[in-house]
Amino acid sequence: MENKLIVSVSPHLHKGESVKRIMWFVTASLVPAGIAGVYIFGLKALEVIVLGVVSALISEAVLQLLTKKKVSIFDGSAFLTGLLLAYNLPADVPFWLPIAGSFFAIAVAKHAFGGLGQNIFNPALAGRAFLMASWPKYMTSFVVPFSPDTVTCATPLAAIKESKLIEHISYLDLFLGKRGGCIGEVCIAALILGAVFLLWKGYISWHIPLSYIATTAIFTHIFGRQGSLSGDWLFSILNGGLILGAFFMATDYVTSPLTRKGQVVFGIGCGLLTFVIRAWGGYPEGVSYAILMMNAATPLIDRYTSNRIYGTKSL
Amino acid sequence: MKNLFNEFLKGIIKENPTFVLLLGLCPTLAVSVSMINGLSMGLAATFVILGSNLIISSIKRSIPDKIRIPCFIVVIATFVTIIELVMKAYSPALNRALGIYVPLIVVNCIVLGRAEAFASKQRVFNSLLDGLGMGIGFTLALVLISGIRESLGSGRLLGITIFKGFEPVLIFSMPSGALLIIGLLLGFFSLIKGKRS
Amino acid sequence: MNIAQFLTIFISSVFIYNVILSRFLGLCPFLAISKESKPALAMSLAVTFVIVMSSMITWVIYRFLLVPFNITYLRTIFFILVIATFVQLVEMVIRKISPAMYRFFGIYLALITTNCAVLGVAVMNIDMFFVKNKAVAGSFYFSLFQGFSVGVGFTLAMLLMSGIRERLEFCDVPESLRNFPIAFIIASIMSLAFMGFNGFRF
Repeated sequence: MENKLIVSVSPHLHKGESVKRIMWFVTASLVPAGIAGVYIFGLKALEVIVLGVVSALISEAVLQLLTKKKVSIFDGSAFLTGLLLAYNLPADVPFWLPIAGSFFAIAVAKHAFGGLGQNIFNPALAGRAFLMASWPKYMTSFVVPFSPDTVTCATPLAAIKESKLIEHISYLDLFLGKRGGCIGEVCIAALILGAVFLLWKGYISWHIPLSYIATTAIFTHIFGRQGSLSGDWLFSILNGGLILGAFFMATDYVTSPLTRKGQVVFGIGCGLLTFVIRAWGGYPEGVSYAILMMNAATPLIDRYTSNRIYGTKSL
Repeated sequence: MKNLFNEFLKGIIKENPTFVLLLGLCPTLAVSVSMINGLSMGLAATFVILGSNLIISSIKRSIPDKIRIPCFIVVIATFVTIIELVMKAYSPALNRALGIYVPLIVVNCIVLGRAEAFASKQRVFNSLLDGLGMGIGFTLALVLISGIRESLGSGRLLGITIFKGFEPVLIFSMPSGALLIIGLLLGFFSLIKGKRS
Repeated sequence: MNIAQFLTIFISSVFIYNVILSRFLGLCPFLAISKESKPALAMSLAVTFVIVMSSMITWVIYRFLLVPFNITYLRTIFFILVIATFVQLVEMVIRKISPAMYRFFGIYLALITTNCAVLGVAVMNIDMFFVKNKAVAGSFYFSLFQGFSVGVGFTLAMLLMSGIRERLEFCDVPESLRNFPIAFIIASIMSLAFMGFNGFRF
């Protein structure tokens, strides 16, 4: 895929793309994962998704009124934020949890910085980190897949961290999403379907997802728990929020670097941090923290990887 | 008389060390997890400001100008050591809760700032009033921040449960919540200021 | 004394208990000098240098002066005087030997005396690596390394913050949140992100 940021010579033809269009396309690409999540965890998951989205839209409208901006809740960005936040929650959370998370995401992580296109941190992830810090007990109790009564279980990553023996889960189960986890992260098949769609349409490029996933996999393999080069890299890819994070959140235009080189650096950084947190951190999963940390580094990465203006010295 | 009263009052709102001058933020953020800690830190700092302002304004003529800062620091450090020892002796639990932030009152910019900007130039009585005002301003800011943090972060105030059936927002008892609260408070104050002018 | 201990000190000083984002030491320069990345880097290097040197000096003073003479209660006074003198000395030396370097970070040196991070680390070293006024094994190296790690944490936070604030120049931050309030909000979210390292065990 060629770099679409390069401005070609005139005539400039408008392709009909707009922020609004892109936002709704990304949202559409996330629908399969949502359907899978609801199928796996039941209607409670749907409730969380609806609450997350609706409260994100309301927060957006209220804050745009307060800051005297044009109310633009149908541009898809707040919808996407609410959706991604809900995808990052367990299915069995109290109703006010997605509401609080969406409000934090929209109010603090987005509008405090000036609104659409100006935020430094990915709002949905900031919202998730806020919830994780504030109410950890709700954020870490996961529902067993396909169980009508809500029995909680640990995610495979958490079970491994606590050195518990887990009954063997096949790679196929992991691929289809038959495991405990957040609503939108479990069904890898559905996520990949959406990701392929985005890649095909050219809305995301492969640089961040590939460098991110590859880095995590390689390091997991090298520093295995049973000696070097013994780590189960496929397990590390299929578990946790890696696929959801790498394709749908790390690739957010606003909070990731502009240049291809910068994007690869960003992806490698995310992958390394994810691996370190998973391997030695206190939390079982590090995807959201890794992306947030690299979000903070994005302005610096942009600065040092910016394309040199022809005829000038580099920065 | 009005002048004297102003010396006292300015530290509380108009030149509030925390919210207006943005001084002494380290202890403000670090110890404001609970109101009792915030209050104690405020009172301890007030004691140090009063003591150092008193001594420095009384001996200001005998301090050589070139080495005045080290001299101020020695005076301040003496009072800090006094409060540290008193706290260790009478309230070891509080001393543990405040930790390294008690010895760090030495480098609290409010204390040195008052010594340099006020006490080294003014009469003893004025300096005392100034120190008292600043100390109270600092204490009030600490009480406000720690009150918000304790009530939201644990649902209690001064250790007494005030919200029943409330799920504490743990983030507010963490560093991240402290930074958030002070950011939002500063924004709120500048909003009010902007509306007035 | 092994690699794991040093690694744990490093991760906890840089990320978990980041000197600025978690311990709130050195907030003044963090807010005042983080608007552009060049001065931010200069300040960070100066602070790191002073923290490392003062970690060593205060350790030696505590171990060979305050403990033998049983005057450990004078710790605060001694430390702050030593740090102030040392900073003054460095400033004089730099001004003499390299005016260019003095222009680069000389002005920040003067501010470092009252940078609570320096005294904070000195006190922390003593609290952590002395048990009942006896130096634990490897105490000196731990102190030195902790000083260095705290400096790295300070530098990291300063650089990230300065990059973000440079970019915010082009953003439409609400009027009342401009400058310090938004800086605190950024710091808050950074602190949230660094929480990912909580419970780190190597």
